[in-house]
Amino acid sequence: MTAPDPQVPIPTSAAEDDAHGRAERAAIGRRRERFAALSFAVSVVAAIGLGVVYWRGGQPQLEGVFLALGFGGLGVGFIVWAKHFMPHEEVTEERHSLASTDEEMTLFREEFERGEQVLERRGLLLKAAGAALAALGAALIFPIRSLGPRPGKGLKSTPFRAGVRLVTEANEPIKPADLVTGGVLTVFPEDHTNAADASTVLIRPGTAVKPRPGRETWTPDGVVAYSKLCTHVGCPVGLYQAEEHLLLCPCHQSTFDVLDGARPVFGPAARSLPQLPLGIDADGYFVSLGDFSGPTGAGFWDRDR
Amino acid sequence: MARTKRDRLITRRIARWIDGRVGTAKFARSALGKVFPNHWSFLLGEIALYAFVVLVLTGTYLTFFFDASSREVVYQGVYTPLRGVTMSEAYRSAIDLSFEVRAGLVMRQIHHWAALLFIAAIVVHMMRIFFTGAFRRPREINWMVGVTLLILSIFNGFAGYSLLDDQLSGTGLRIAYSIALSIPIGGTWVASLLFGGEFPGADIIGRLYVIHILLIPAAIIGLLGAHLAILVRQKHTQFRGLGRTEDNVVGERVWPSFAFKSVGLMLLTTAVLSALGGLAQINPVWLYGPFRPAEVSSASQPDWFMGWLDGALRLFPGWEIRAFGFEVPAPFFPAVALAGLTFALLYLWPFIEARFTGDYEVHHLLDRPRDRPRRTAIGVGAFTFYAMLTLSASSDVTATTFGLSVNSVVWSLRILTLVAPFVSGVIAYRLCRELLQREAGTVVAYEPSGDSLIE
Amino acid sequence: MSPPRRRRAARGLTRFGPLIVVVVSVLAIVVDHQLRASAAPSAARSANAPSAAGPVEAGRELFVVGCSGCHGLDGTGLRAADGSVLGPSLTASGEAAAYFYLSTGRMPLANPTKPPVRKDPVYTAEQIDDLVSFVGSLGDGPAIPQVQPAAGDLAAGGEIYRSQCAACHSATGAGGALSYGRAAPSLSEATPLQVATAVRIGPDQMPAFGDDAISADQLNSLARYIEYLHHPDNRGGVDLGGLGPVPEGLLIWMVGIGGIIALCVWIAYKPRRREARATR
Repeated sequence: MTAPDPQVPIPTSAAEDDAHGRAERAAIGRRRERFAALSFAVSVVAAIGLGVVYWRGGQPQLEGVFLALGFGGLGVGFIVWAKHFMPHEEVTEERHSLASTDEEMTLFREEFERGEQVLERRGLLLKAAGAALAALGAALIFPIRSLGPRPGKGLKSTPFRAGVRLVTEANEPIKPADLVTGGVLTVFPEDHTNAADASTVLIRPGTAVKPRPGRETWTPDGVVAYSKLCTHVGCPVGLYQAEEHLLLCPCHQSTFDVLDGARPVFGPAARSLPQLPLGIDADGYFVSLGDFSGPTGAGFWDRDR
Repeated sequence: MARTKRDRLITRRIARWIDGRVGTAKFARSALGKVFPNHWSFLLGEIALYAFVVLVLTGTYLTFFFDASSREVVYQGVYTPLRGVTMSEAYRSAIDLSFEVRAGLVMRQIHHWAALLFIAAIVVHMMRIFFTGAFRRPREINWMVGVTLLILSIFNGFAGYSLLDDQLSGTGLRIAYSIALSIPIGGTWVASLLFGGEFPGADIIGRLYVIHILLIPAAIIGLLGAHLAILVRQKHTQFRGLGRTEDNVVGERVWPSFAFKSVGLMLLTTAVLSALGGLAQINPVWLYGPFRPAEVSSASQPDWFMGWLDGALRLFPGWEIRAFGFEVPAPFFPAVALAGLTFALLYLWPFIEARFTGDYEVHHLLDRPRDRPRRTAIGVGAFTFYAMLTLSASSDVTATTFGLSVNSVVWSLRILTLVAPFVSGVIAYRLCRELLQREAGTVVAYEPSGDSLIE
Repeated sequence: MSPPRRRRAARGLTRFGPLIVVVVSVLAIVVDHQLRASAAPSAARSANAPSAAGPVEAGRELFVVGCSGCHGLDGTGLRAADGSVLGPSLTASGEAAAYFYLSTGRMPLANPTKPPVRKDPVYTAEQIDDLVSFVGSLGDGPAIPQVQPAAGDLAAGGEIYRSQCAACHSATGAGGALSYGRAAPSLSEATPLQVATAVRIGPDQMPAFGDDAISADQLNSLARYIEYLHHPDNRGGVDLGGLGPVPEGLLIWMVGIGGIIALCVWIAYKPRRREARATR
């Protein structure tokens, strides 16, 4: 005879506990058992399905569905089994004090202190061992130094120098005519198209740029160049809004005014994008007249030094 | 000992063989007899545990195919839109996993969904612990172990999706590099040691791999073991009710009920993750392209569990501190300082609350959230704050989806993030008091005879 | 319905009532927004009788009816009384710009106070051809470029897309936010010719890319890749809008955690009945 289903109401009175009530409860129990068995069967079918799908070359959606049905069928079956066919009477377990008894603590303290006193008899050894451990521990930290080079001038300079040509990603130099009005290009120092700190946006805004003091000669032919690295946390400032002459960074929406030295006008960036001084060489290609007006990318402790 | 036919079952014989050598019967009896109270909110931690199991299993499978190398190769595989494109080995192996390894994509997707679920489950579990006061003495240690598990899981999630070296996660790595740079005094060293030089370098993927598959999982497994061992030793907490006191625990035994329910939950969690992994596309790196330092895509967000940091970075204005030629760059405050403060407060909460309430007693009975209106209000307010930050990470997506100006969205969120926590906290406080008042003078418990206990 | 069922239904309604209200409100806002975006002036739908004259003349007639109100009878632009521009001059626009704006329905502008957005074109293809001829005849603006996606290289197009376009239009072509309410639109409906004309003219906020920035071959490849993005390989399942981690996070919270918590409630559910008690 199957055990009483704890989720089926226990009869409250003799009148309820009659043959009809018992038969009803037994029927509910059988239905639930069949349901759980069906769940397991679904699991079996799903497992077979999974094997077939895999053998036939695999297909992500079918794999996911069969895995889900396989695990799900088992899971539902187990839970129905646990909810309806396992004992649910509440059991009480007593808690005992978590802390050790006073006696245990005293015993432990005495034994431990006995050992400690043995150590303390040899003060010289204790101090020397301590020194050795400390020294060795400190020395073992040194290999961390090999993880990376001393942060040096690299953070404050890029491969741009006076006379270095600007090139596209394909390492091809650029003439002013290559840039139409309202156009933008991502450029690099020649032969350094992999320089992650030197990516530059070259823009022909179509409207006159208001130069910062000292930068009056930096924009030949009405073309201006700024570092592409956002001064907030370094994402490439890839969005150029041609009508408003704004550079927008997609990461945190820092917005820079291209006509005003790439001054931040919205968002969390605190500094303007460094500007690259542009010139045109004898062959008519764009060159830089020097490095950027400041370190590119995000700020750091000694950026201004 | 009288042998029955059952005792000749192979399982029984193996059990006796092991017991004869290490004496397992006593431990097994105690373990299987343990009592666990029955409440749905006590299962939340298990969701996290089983998501972790899925992570380890699927992750192990992935390690057999993933190649964490930054060496450049030219792709010549099955996916034509990338044929002839230069990419790292890491990215190439991710594409191969998605297109050429049988069941590779479903394993990858289950793994990623499981990571998102793992941290979500930790968060809801942590909220349950907080709102029921289960962090109070004697469970402060387990609370701190739990917070550590949260931090480790967030780091591991970030490391995991950054391994693929795709455009989206590479953008995130750049942000992480810049955040490291922003640390005062030693930031440039931290960034250089982490990345092996300036961004991006050739080392970060390999290093993240070791961190992701070995160091952090080992730490998580160790801490999880401690977490469960402490729980078993201290026994689970329980809600107030008939027959429940501070000196007992009422519920059902591990064997067979609780064990079957737990295994059932594990199977169902796996089932949900499998369904997601096969039916809902996640992180389609082949569409994002390999990482190029000079490129970026709009709609660049980190995974949800990093959203609070990204949102904070979007909302916090460009306030830098500059003095004597040195600077503390703006991102330091919303990224490093906020994270540090958040986790410090989390760690210290049991002690802060004890100090304020003057309650240093042992508690095994739980509060309902309404029983502690102030704590609940603080929790709701804090949750609202971090939820607002997480929401803020989607500012541009929200703007385009609803046809709003992203600038207005940012400004609105700046104000809301400061105001909403207080509002929600006050509402929560009022709600708790209201509920308590309604209870005073009404039925709270039943006797077996059906008579009610009125308090 | 039996009384317990009715009570459960009532409880369900009170529990889900507010949620239903919120969902319906959000839907209403979205639908209203979409409807407004596709509203068009009723003027030009009434087809003109086909003219016996050439395309430029036919275009002029259409122009006078539908465009001169903002762009002037001769297409040189109109200013309002206070000096602000009603419609810019089209003398330098060329056929390319006319084709782009008309075939994407951006012109005629539904709401002159808002930036142009894609909507159903008001004119038929023949009418667009005529208008394009007319606008092109106004000056020396760029002609409609030749574009043949089939001649392009898919992988090369992908590289160009990710380096030049994804920053605004997103890697999946879903579009992206710009400042102050503007947006780079989704490319899901962009035809190769619309792509080519947009690239060359740089409409509205979009920068322009000349032949030296994106060559004719590169344009073919780019158009081919954008066509691919209309039906990309989404073998992982439902693509959740191609918006990245945001919808993924939403899904894990709603379906993942929400669903599993619902399962936990089911697992632990016990009807409130008398419970027998045993002591260990």
